Amino acid sequence: MFHWLEKHPFFFAVAVFLTIAFAGLIEILPNFAQASQPVVGTKPYSTLELAGRHIYIKNNCMGCHSQLVRPFKSETDRYGHYSLSGEYAYDRPFLWGSKRTGPDLMRVGNYRTTDWHENHMKDPAAVVPGSIMPAYRWMFKNAADIDTAYAEQITVNKVFKTPYNTEIPMADGTKATVALAATLDEAKTAALEEAKVIAADMKDQDVKDAVAAGQIPEIVAVIAYLNCLK
Amino acid sequence: MNKTVLAAIIVVIAMLGFTYIAVGGAGGMGGEGDWVNKLAVLGAVVLVIVTAFVVTKYVRQMQFDKASGKLADENWDGIGEYKNELPFGWAIIFLGLVIWAIWYFLAGYPVSSYSQIGEYNEAVAEHDAKFEAQYANMDDATLKEMGGSVFIVQCAPCHGLQADGIDGKAANLNHRLEEKSIKHVIQNGSNNQLLGIEMPMPDRNGLMNANTGALISDAEMDAVAKYVAGGMKGTVGADVFAGTCAACHAADGKGTDMVAPSIAEFNPTLIANVLKHGKKGAIGQMPAFNNLTDVQVKALGAYVTGLSK
Repeated sequence: MFHWLEKHPFFFAVAVFLTIAFAGLIEILPNFAQASQPVVGTKPYSTLELAGRHIYIKNNCMGCHSQLVRPFKSETDRYGHYSLSGEYAYDRPFLWGSKRTGPDLMRVGNYRTTDWHENHMKDPAAVVPGSIMPAYRWMFKNAADIDTAYAEQITVNKVFKTPYNTEIPMADGTKATVALAATLDEAKTAALEEAKVIAADMKDQDVKDAVAAGQIPEIVAVIAYLNCLK
Repeated sequence: MNKTVLAAIIVVIAMLGFTYIAVGGAGGMGGEGDWVNKLAVLGAVVLVIVTAFVVTKYVRQMQFDKASGKLADENWDGIGEYKNELPFGWAIIFLGLVIWAIWYFLAGYPVSSYSQIGEYNEAVAEHDAKFEAQYANMDDATLKEMGGSVFIVQCAPCHGLQADGIDGKAANLNHRLEEKSIKHVIQNGSNNQLLGIEMPMPDRNGLMNANTGALISDAEMDAVAKYVAGGMKGTVGADVFAGTCAACHAADGKGTDMVAPSIAEFNPTLIANVLKHGKKGAIGQMPAFNNLTDVQVKALGAYVTGLSK
């Protein structure tokens, strides 16, 4: 066979490619398949959280904030446990970022709460002296796009088998279920219920009124997203 | 002696000369310098001689050697291939490499030696050991200094660098309680685990004023809130406090073990429990800070307690 291959340069090239590709496959694929499994405690996003994630992307937050804690003591002291690849299992796309003008947000839900985010998004320098982050006041007025978020939920559920309506093991031994609504109207109702919990912890009267009237301002969705980053 | 060998001898002499010029100054050849230099020079000499020997051998082989052996059947544009056996030495090296590759793959470098996480774990362990040794027995001043620096990193983003709560955005830690917070707790009760145990305080429908025998009224609530926020001085509200709050929080407001926390002053236990469980009150929600070490919690306790004294 080798003499035959030596006489046929094209098939020789194919054989070389297959040999090297095979080596690559057995080295890369099993490790990759294992590492990309969701870590225990990693949940898919709810509709409101996903809408917040879209706003995060729309405003290019990842231009200044990373979502990747490296295994250095200085970082784990400040941000918490270093990131594991399985924690991004439901991030499409992941938002690692490559620049930290602001701090890492991988686990911001562990050490900031709704009211802090509200103060901060309205006027960053008021809570962080010297901060150069701009204020995001329009988020208090614009409505969040729940339709797109719901469409993405359905898509990832069908295409990537993202486990909605499924019991997911959590780190403390309990099980959690993230619901995927059957219709768009149900999804909107569920998102509004979630928004009400967050609006209850907020101070801005306009936002509270909007949520009471059945609307979901962007700020509520963003805070829902930031709170779920753990 | 043919020309090739002569050329080889000239090359050896030239290269030894070059080596002498290059490293001789370091003292290696002159008998001075340490053994590392001498070893390096010896190595250079051996390399030069071996190189000359090998090159001479192959040049002579190209000049005089005749190919021999059985030709393979194929023939590529007139170029044939001998079916000679692999030289014995090469075969040994090849087999040795195969065995080495198996060892390398299963037990060698990439699997069991270095990992980034391993390096991280070592760095953390080393730091923790150093930290423990250095701060095993801290005096009060060091403890407060450490608390101050932890405060700037972990607490100041919400409570402010001056611990004043940044215009009511978080609790003012220079002061135990504010009127607003006290009224909120009386209105809504509290199940904050300020003592580390589930010990809910009832809302106002469960708060009796022993002096009047009735539930606490709005006016009484305002009065007692002012009284506690004002540092429990004066007489206005003192009677309400004695009749309603003192039963659990003690007459001096410093709390009762396993029943109620101190509302007169901060203490390290209270702070440790707030850090451990978080807190939700009139101003907003504070998350739990379980990433802090015991020493850091102790230091923060000392620092924050010291702020209002």
